[in-house]
Amino acid sequence: MRKVYITGVGFITSIGNDARSVSESLRELRHGMVQYPPFQKADIPVKVAAPIRDFQTDTTDAEDWVFPARYAIRREALRGMAPHGVYAYCAMQQAVEDAKLTEADWSNPDTGLYAASAGSPFLLTHHVERMRKMGVMRCAPLGVVAAISGTVNFNLVSQFKIKGASTGFSSACASSAHALGFAHDEIALGRQKRMFVVGAEDGNVESILPFAGMRALSLQSDPSIASRPFDAARDGFVGTGGASVLVLESEEEVQRRRAKVYCAVAGWGQASDGHNVAISHPEGTGLRMAIENAFKYSDITSEAVDYVNAHATSTPIGDISEAKALKAIFKNSPTRPAISSTKALTGHGLSLAGAMEAGFCALAIKEGFMPGSAHITKLEPACEGLNIIRATLPHRPNVVLSNSSGFGGANVCLVFRAV
Amino acid sequence: MAQAFNNSSGISLKPFTQEDDVNLRESLKRCSAASYEAAAQFRKTGNIEHLPAIVLGIIERYVEPDLRAKLKDADDDLRVIEDLGIDSLTMMEIVILVEDVLQMSINNEELRYLRTLGDVKTFIECKVRGLPLPKPTKFIPIEQIMSVMPIQPPFLFLGEASVNAHGANAKYKISGQEFFLQGHFKDNPVLPASIMLEALGQLAVLFLLEGQIGEAGKVVDHRTIFFTSCEGVRCHRICKPGDVLILSIKPKRLKSPLATFEGQIRVGQEKAAIAEEITLTFGFAEEVAQPVQQTQSTPATAPAQAAVNA
Repeated sequence: MRKVYITGVGFITSIGNDARSVSESLRELRHGMVQYPPFQKADIPVKVAAPIRDFQTDTTDAEDWVFPARYAIRREALRGMAPHGVYAYCAMQQAVEDAKLTEADWSNPDTGLYAASAGSPFLLTHHVERMRKMGVMRCAPLGVVAAISGTVNFNLVSQFKIKGASTGFSSACASSAHALGFAHDEIALGRQKRMFVVGAEDGNVESILPFAGMRALSLQSDPSIASRPFDAARDGFVGTGGASVLVLESEEEVQRRRAKVYCAVAGWGQASDGHNVAISHPEGTGLRMAIENAFKYSDITSEAVDYVNAHATSTPIGDISEAKALKAIFKNSPTRPAISSTKALTGHGLSLAGAMEAGFCALAIKEGFMPGSAHITKLEPACEGLNIIRATLPHRPNVVLSNSSGFGGANVCLVFRAV
Repeated sequence: MAQAFNNSSGISLKPFTQEDDVNLRESLKRCSAASYEAAAQFRKTGNIEHLPAIVLGIIERYVEPDLRAKLKDADDDLRVIEDLGIDSLTMMEIVILVEDVLQMSINNEELRYLRTLGDVKTFIECKVRGLPLPKPTKFIPIEQIMSVMPIQPPFLFLGEASVNAHGANAKYKISGQEFFLQGHFKDNPVLPASIMLEALGQLAVLFLLEGQIGEAGKVVDHRTIFFTSCEGVRCHRICKPGDVLILSIKPKRLKSPLATFEGQIRVGQEKAAIAEEITLTFGFAEEVAQPVQQTQSTPATAPAQAAVNA
């Protein structure tokens, strides 16, 4: 198996629109929640979300959208994009610049792109409504590619002229972790030299509020405590959107290009709960097996782990499942590893979460810190015995896990290692 | 209550309500103010004189800003895909907006042949007036020109050509290898003016053979085409090897057995030659069916020779 490294990152997130500001937010535990204006209506009990700053994508007409001037997106590209397509395009631009890649480096058969998003319910409902109202032949020609799941890979692969492997992943909140895992495998197996991994979500009314139906969203109106994973008073997740892109490269490419390296992707594992369509297994068995598989395939033991970026979304059931899985794994070392959920700061990015948090882990390893788990006043009793860090630690973790769990009980554990 | 009525253009009009106006403004919000004005006038009066402004305004809105200058002084030969960078998906966006603004529906099959700005304008005018659609511009590669023309190399002066109901266009690059340039002139190759006129005559021949010259089901027999006269020929520019002649002819009168054209040659944006009138004779295939079969030994270049005699 060939070694795989992360050589570039790009972020459009609720806590920053570039690596530097994301890193600062993570260290200083600055969250991205606000009382989200579209939610401030009497019949919407959910008040808080973690929106993207410096972009305006709240109309169905892409030509109305506003994004930072440094990203030039032509109309013919924009018309096939969802809001999160724009975020992904911008994060991609950052990632290729960060990795110092030229078009010749990425537009070739050895470079692929795996992506994950839930599509754009915002645009999908708009286009279907238009079809019903105006007739089938007046559907916007690019309405489908802009709206359906897969829109991120359709757009980025064509616009960046990607020639290698490309597909989308759909395992809800584990999607982009799956994308990263399989992208790692493409390089490890020698099929690709370089992979882009993209996670993205709209993070707007249509992508967040439907989760209110399953009572998964926090009804807390105070942005500073709405997302509090592992806190006893947590009452659901806070929705967010954005995009995160990682550049994965083989050891040969890293050496050839003399590329700067964030960390190695040591391996990954996955396993499923086989339990419930939407509720995680109460004992966290799927996640525990995913972590065990990740250890096996990356040849590490639980003792080696310094930091765990937890999936914990701040839902009452989910956080306990994960805590139980972690306790089962780390039962012999109650003071290690450090554990935190950065969703306290970012909110839950759904399909974006895995790639975004993998990007956080890459920053943490390269820059030498472990972000704290914010907003905990009273620790959830089920978490007693785990080293959930309340403040950021100024130490470089050597081995880091990033967990992700999605609907249907899909669980992924990614392993990163300092180089 | 929306009762349709007919106006002088023969177009049935629906009343243009306040709500229609709001929708029209919204639909055309990214087009020039002139396009909205033209569209509102058209919807109120049915006057088709507004159509070119509407259609150009809608197309302009979809052309990338750096290419819009091309539309400013565009003629009808400007090609939608090659010159304006409009792909088939953008064409669909244009169509949907045109449908919306002009209150019509257009099917995919009809779109396939719209290659030039002129095609688009004519097409929409015919749709609006309920007229049968013109045959679209045909693009004819050199191989096909050679297969239909009675004139052949080394005396064929047409490269790629396009023919539609309103005329024909072609290009010819002076290679420098043309046999007559050796003597015209000594150590100074210049395309003879008679050859410029010959090239226009050849394009008129191509129009008669490939254009749609009206009379239903009738096909012009290439063996019947000959030169008769020309008027008002003026040359403005010396043409030399390397120059690309842009030839265009438009029919002025077409009634068997005579066809009169006006012709023009440009090199880039410079006028090279004009002919106010070039007249050819022609006959339809069935009119000469029997006698012609017996005279198949007639040299295929006969019409060309006739044209050259100018």
